[in-house]
Amino acid sequence: MPGLAPGHRAEAVTPRIAIVGSGPAGCYVAQALRKALPEAEISVLDRLCVPYGLVRYGVAPDHQGTKGVTRQFARLFERQDVDFLGNIEVGRDIALEELRGAMHAVVIATGLYADRRLGVPGDDLPGVYGSGAITRAWNGHPDSDVAPSFGGRVAVIGNGNVAADVVRLLAKAAGDFAGSDVAAALIGEAVEEIHVIGRGSLAAAKFDVAMLKEIAALSGVRCDLAEGDSIAGPGEAETPIGAAMAEAVKQLRDASAKRIVFHAGWTVARVEADGERVAALTLRRPDGSAEKRLACDSVITAIGFDDDGAIDRASLLQDASADGVLAPGLFAAGWFRRGSQGTIPENRTDAQEVAAAVAAWLSDGTHEDRPGRKVLLDRLGERITTYRDWLAIDAAETDAAEPDRCRRKLRTWSEMKDVIEKQRETA
Amino acid sequence: MKVAILYGTESGNAELLCDDIKDEIGEEHDCEISSLADVTPADLEPETFYIFVTATHGNGDLPANAAGFRDTLEEERPDLSEINFAIFGLGDMVFAETFNQGSEKLMTELLACKAQQVGERGIHDASTGEPPEDIALPWVRACFDGLLAKAA
Repeated sequence: MPGLAPGHRAEAVTPRIAIVGSGPAGCYVAQALRKALPEAEISVLDRLCVPYGLVRYGVAPDHQGTKGVTRQFARLFERQDVDFLGNIEVGRDIALEELRGAMHAVVIATGLYADRRLGVPGDDLPGVYGSGAITRAWNGHPDSDVAPSFGGRVAVIGNGNVAADVVRLLAKAAGDFAGSDVAAALIGEAVEEIHVIGRGSLAAAKFDVAMLKEIAALSGVRCDLAEGDSIAGPGEAETPIGAAMAEAVKQLRDASAKRIVFHAGWTVARVEADGERVAALTLRRPDGSAEKRLACDSVITAIGFDDDGAIDRASLLQDASADGVLAPGLFAAGWFRRGSQGTIPENRTDAQEVAAAVAAWLSDGTHEDRPGRKVLLDRLGERITTYRDWLAIDAAETDAAEPDRCRRKLRTWSEMKDVIEKQRETA
Repeated sequence: MKVAILYGTESGNAELLCDDIKDEIGEEHDCEISSLADVTPADLEPETFYIFVTATHGNGDLPANAAGFRDTLEEERPDLSEINFAIFGLGDMVFAETFNQGSEKLMTELLACKAQQVGERGIHDASTGEPPEDIALPWVRACFDGLLAKAA
């Protein structure tokens, strides 16, 4: 053949890689790997039959612009020869060890699904919800069986962006949801007061300034500090978030507005019930110097996420290196690796590091051929959902959108299955 | 013509848009895409047309990979009067107060260094759900028309 240099190595081994989880971390790893390894077989698995994980089911449904990051990921499946293999749960459909045997490299990017509990008496009472569970309900997650009932007074625990999402979604009036994909039945219209509780000072709160400003700009909302609380502690320096908070509480709003009250420097000592259901929180200063009772109809915790135990994260992470290597050929990325810290863009940087570690592992030239995704296709066959199946679901959802919504999500596996079957018949 | 497409990005959206711009004009022009982290103002050449594409991050700031470039413009004020550029910004009106301030800040610094802007700053609003390329590609076409008109 012309153009081949003498001594050309004809049979290079094709690297075969599986990424477990099609959320932002997994897709960013796939993106970086595709750039580094144009010839590699790259498969992105998900236990759900649709892709994008946290972008579809965790990012707030009124932040559709943030969800637009999926345009990047769609390119992977449409143009860059990365395969989406949905409806595969590692641990149920294939053991992690078996998957590792089929692939040269496996990257775990399953995120952190479970809401961290308060760890105080009463934290499991009816009416106490985790922010992840609530966000999944708002986002129409197929596993979501929560039909939240918020009542008039809601306490939100946490001072990060997840708490900010929850507060904003509770504070918005029905008309503020135009352009989103929130089902009307899930809007907390009865909510009159939202109490936000953080253990640190508000000047040190982890809310992004832009997120706080977005809340303060809602016309039907007024922000207040709880009586006796202040934005900065004694001697604490002024911060951008503290300044934004000071602006927020200064705004004059009509008395009919929903009230958001910030309680700064309190921890939850216990959750109290009236009969079966939550009725109040006892709050305590971190140094134990004071306590107060806060009546509430529901509680939403937004204090971080943990793994759900589906993959033994703790023992896998035990020997992890700084760039996400868990064991030879096994890697971790995103929140599974780093804990529930960092936004989607931060996970992009992280994913690029992990992809570099994967590429380094594959480049040593000693790898023998492996069967790769064929193992999954042979075993699970038609059960596996594809990117084409997702496109059919996506189209069905956008077509069914009500006039002031961008989509109407299919909430159950059986509804999705119907659409998939129809797509496959016509294909 | 030599065209350099320079991006400032956090999520990768602006970088992706650069790929689309290159696909659109790459057959007619000699295009190269670079991160703003890999370019300094001293690298800019009069014979190249520069297209800046940048997101806004945090509280109306430039993305981290673009911040150094902007700081150099501000601190060193290089003479860019021979340089032609166009600029496109990605933003999200959900964050109304700081909407597209990143691209605005970069444009302001380029103009302060006397660089020659071609066309108006292009703007995308992610909250509309419109694909950025639907706004950016016609904008790029218009910029090239403006550049030709300027040369004539």
